[in-house]
Amino acid sequence: MVWFVPTLLGLLAIVFFISHVIPADPAAFAAGENASAATIAEMRQRLGLDQPLHIQFLRYVQSIFTGDMGRSIYTGRPVSEDLLSRLPATLELTLVTVVVATLVGVPLGVVAALKRNSWIDHALRLVTIAGLAIASFWFAILLQLFFSMQLGITPLTGRVEGWGPEPITGFYVIDSLINWDMETLLDAFHHMVLPVATLALPAAATIVRFTRAGVLNALESSYVLYETAMGYPRWQIVWKYVLRNALIGTVTQIGLIFGILLAGAVVVEAVFDWPGLGLFAVNSILNSDYNAVMGFTLVAGTMFIVVNLVVDILQGLIDPRETR
Amino acid sequence: MATRDTKDLVAGIGRRDLLKAGAALGTAGAVGMPHIAEAQRGGGGRIVFANGSAYDTMDPHATFDVGRVAYRLNCYDGLMRWVDNPPKLEPWLAESYTASEDGKTYTFKLRQGVTFHDGAPLTSEDVVYSMERILAVKKGAYPLFAPLVAPGSTKALDRHTVQFNLTTPSAIFAATTHDIYVVNSALLKRNERDGDWGQAFIGRNDAGSGSYIIRRFDPARGFLAQRFDKHFLGPAGIAEIDFRYVAEVNSRVLGLIRGDFQGTDPYMPQDQIVRLQADANLNVMEAESTRLFYSCIHNQRAPMNDINFRKALCHAFDYDGWINNILGGSVVRNTGVVPNPMWGAPKDLPGYTYDIDKAKWYLARVQAPMREIVVAGMIGYEQSIQAASLLQNGLTRAGIPSRLLNEPWPVVSNKMRDPEQMYDLLFLWRSTYYADPHNWAGELLHTNRHRGGNASYYANPEVDRLLNEALATPDQAKRAPLYEQVARISSEDAAAIFIHNTKWYGPFRKNVSGVRFCPIGDGQEMRWLSIT
Amino acid sequence: MRQVLRKLAEDRASMFGLALILVVVLAAILAPILSTHPADVAEFHTGIRLSPPNPDNWLGTDRMGSDIYSRLLFGARITLTIAVVAILVAVLIGVPIGLVAGYYEGLGSDLLMRGSDVFLAVPQIVLAIAIAQTLGPSIENVILALSVTYWPFWARLVYAETRSCKKETFVEAAIALGCSPFRVMVLHILPSISSSIIVRTTIGMGGTILTAATLGFLGLGPPPPTPEWGRTIAESREYLPMAWWYAAFPGLAIFIVVMGFNLLGDGLRDVLDPRLRRASRGR
Repeated sequence: MVWFVPTLLGLLAIVFFISHVIPADPAAFAAGENASAATIAEMRQRLGLDQPLHIQFLRYVQSIFTGDMGRSIYTGRPVSEDLLSRLPATLELTLVTVVVATLVGVPLGVVAALKRNSWIDHALRLVTIAGLAIASFWFAILLQLFFSMQLGITPLTGRVEGWGPEPITGFYVIDSLINWDMETLLDAFHHMVLPVATLALPAAATIVRFTRAGVLNALESSYVLYETAMGYPRWQIVWKYVLRNALIGTVTQIGLIFGILLAGAVVVEAVFDWPGLGLFAVNSILNSDYNAVMGFTLVAGTMFIVVNLVVDILQGLIDPRETR
Repeated sequence: MATRDTKDLVAGIGRRDLLKAGAALGTAGAVGMPHIAEAQRGGGGRIVFANGSAYDTMDPHATFDVGRVAYRLNCYDGLMRWVDNPPKLEPWLAESYTASEDGKTYTFKLRQGVTFHDGAPLTSEDVVYSMERILAVKKGAYPLFAPLVAPGSTKALDRHTVQFNLTTPSAIFAATTHDIYVVNSALLKRNERDGDWGQAFIGRNDAGSGSYIIRRFDPARGFLAQRFDKHFLGPAGIAEIDFRYVAEVNSRVLGLIRGDFQGTDPYMPQDQIVRLQADANLNVMEAESTRLFYSCIHNQRAPMNDINFRKALCHAFDYDGWINNILGGSVVRNTGVVPNPMWGAPKDLPGYTYDIDKAKWYLARVQAPMREIVVAGMIGYEQSIQAASLLQNGLTRAGIPSRLLNEPWPVVSNKMRDPEQMYDLLFLWRSTYYADPHNWAGELLHTNRHRGGNASYYANPEVDRLLNEALATPDQAKRAPLYEQVARISSEDAAAIFIHNTKWYGPFRKNVSGVRFCPIGDGQEMRWLSIT
Repeated sequence: MRQVLRKLAEDRASMFGLALILVVVLAAILAPILSTHPADVAEFHTGIRLSPPNPDNWLGTDRMGSDIYSRLLFGARITLTIAVVAILVAVLIGVPIGLVAGYYEGLGSDLLMRGSDVFLAVPQIVLAIAIAQTLGPSIENVILALSVTYWPFWARLVYAETRSCKKETFVEAAIALGCSPFRVMVLHILPSISSSIIVRTTIGMGGTILTAATLGFLGLGPPPPTPEWGRTIAESREYLPMAWWYAAFPGLAIFIVVMGFNLLGDGLRDVLDPRLRRASRGR
């Protein structure tokens, strides 16, 4: 936890290095591809690129902390504004996926552990390894091919048909509930089916594996062995001790899951035209919109660090023994 | 300075059309052309149009491409407007114009009683402001006007008269006034920040007088606009237009087939157009357009500065495979710089054929040492990437080493403007910005368009002379042979690889009617449409 | 060692994984022999573009009429090259850093580890995107982007292993006997932690191939006509649902090779590293 701030600074340093040190001419990069020589020279001065590197870095950190990530070369708007407006779409997708992946993954993991070495356990092992081996963009396209193009039962792309509810929070599920607009709510969920399925596959696979390991650990622990020896019914032991401990184990992995989802969001949003951070990043890549790509890296990295911090705190609350 | 009626000075726009404009002046009425005035009144409904390009701004002076033309065309008005196919230049905000004898002074008379969406009257001050804004913001149509109009030279003679004082004579100036989209100067001045010409404001908000009022805009989704009932031509046919940014080709196609969308742009592989044509609920309109697909050749860099090498390049492209196989015969071979349907295009220009032996023959005559040639395509425009690949294939067979480089349009357009950075070859389109052969021959070949449209950095004094003469000649009949000659010379010089002229496909649901295709704007002007 | 191999050989899943890897490696090596149209890496036949699978083009043709089967074989070379070189570089950076930081305790090694933690604090693909975007699309740059983002995994692992290993008697003995630190690290510590490195590397191969394919899909990989798998899938999207084979087979190829490494890695972990199997750590 102590390391939160240094890690954040480290992230800034990496992004600073990529954006200011790697390119042959950072000013030309920052000014954008359309810039004239005069604009580039002006940009060099404005960015202080004529200063020594450590001064540049301090100024960079300063500007980031005041929320200035530069302007998008393509849209002309501040990158921070663009990113902020797209954050809810990604968060909504991610949160729904976490819920789905947990609901699917935890029970399967428990089953795999309880029926250790049965055919179910082996099958699940194969499926989870496969789930982590499949390229998510390819899986997404296969889902589209089958469910949207062949059967025509799911929307191909997008977040909602039409314009969606007036943005209040930016979360369509919440916004349509506020407006009590059931049609939009259903539509929003309908649009989520394929993206969530794509994202949830690797996430659920990971959860299954961790839950299985957690349950096995708990089953072999001394107090469970003791309770068993005392003659308590097995279901009661599983319910009371094993599950609880296994779930704690899963919660601690949410940080990891979140990383998987954030990475997955980049491609999944691109395939499903989901107007979130990931799609923004992909479009920025296509447009060589340099500030936007760096802004995305920073925001994605920060989100990841924050989630891990929160998980650490949660873990400390749930299980004080394991405080790191 | 003597001014004459447009009847005498027919610009490069087709004599009959201007005569009509002159006639409109004669009647002195505030009404436009009869067939324009017969707009459907008060129809209802809403059309959802799926657009493959993202609308990243709503500033009519910030973009110039066809992919994002919809908001310019539907929410803003220009002085004149191109309609129908073959394109006709119709009076729009201007009811008439006159040009001076020397072709340097153009005076436009504005319609009376035109208002902006906020009710403010549209006056000559707004036109002057818009012209200055184009020159100051330096985006969109700026390259079109920068060589002709100096900042501060445009004058409001009275409330409804604007005078443009050009730096050089131009027979085509009026033809380009389609792109002087007039913005609400009072509104913009109120919302100006740090001398930005209201860019931050207008990038997201409505400030026009056009047929539709921008109601919602989201770069990630598109824009939604509502009919402006007080438009000077009367209210448009459809109550609401919804232009959605739908990046994925398949989503556009599937959405149209399902009825989620009523129309979409045709920028997709021909294979998908064929799929749309097969659907009973759809009506895929077809029209002969004027959009040239070609490849720039950097004429000033070795070894491309050797005409033999350029001819070898022209013989290394598989035109038949491209047109008949990859594009499924949906386009027509265009051997010269001017699209076939346009006047000024020679009808008997043989051009080049795919012939590796000839390519090798010419190659053997090249003096300069061989090196790796960079062939560029544009990311997001698969056709240009595919054509680059196809050429590379031919080059390999002819024994020319090459490398493909695909870059996005913002990068490409920047490099085009710098002879040092320009690629050796680059595949792209030249769309119609004004229906005149000069839109191709002049913009792509004249030396004064170096760092502009002439990304081939082609230079031939004879071609320059012919183009200058054509620009100073008012009579179309006399101009046509000049452009034909330019086309012949540039073909002989192998100035670029001229490939095909596009056909326009307009995929719409069958309940949409009244689409009026015009190569300028690609049929995206919605006010003529109705929906049942 | 023999025991390890025997145990591994008994695990059917691992053997299956190994077989998948061998198939892909052989395909890559023998691509010129196995392919039916080896010239199609750069040659087009526009007359037969987008043909479905048929006796001449076993997996159909792409938008330019090139044979997808042949291109897939040559694509395997690109994919394996990228993954092997990137992992190799990552190991060569990560392992020494981990060794040194684990051997010498102090502020320096703390900083080294915190530095690698920062890299681990960002999803790998995000960082790889930023780097690949800055450098421009090419095979070399993909390799560079991947090595830079992946080395901390090995640094972290080796660091932890080295620290626990240092307390072992044989290492303490070697130090007491006056062996130079370099000698201790390379001859005593490294061999005893090599099994963990092997497991980590095998699993890392799968992840690296996926990330590389993703970069290709996003247009950050080697440019056309390079038959890179991820890029091929991206290309195919405009021709769906008609040309399903265009998207299906390259994805299948990615799946097969990644599955192979993951299965083998999973089996190796069970056999070589019983501690890792228990611990719920490890990505």
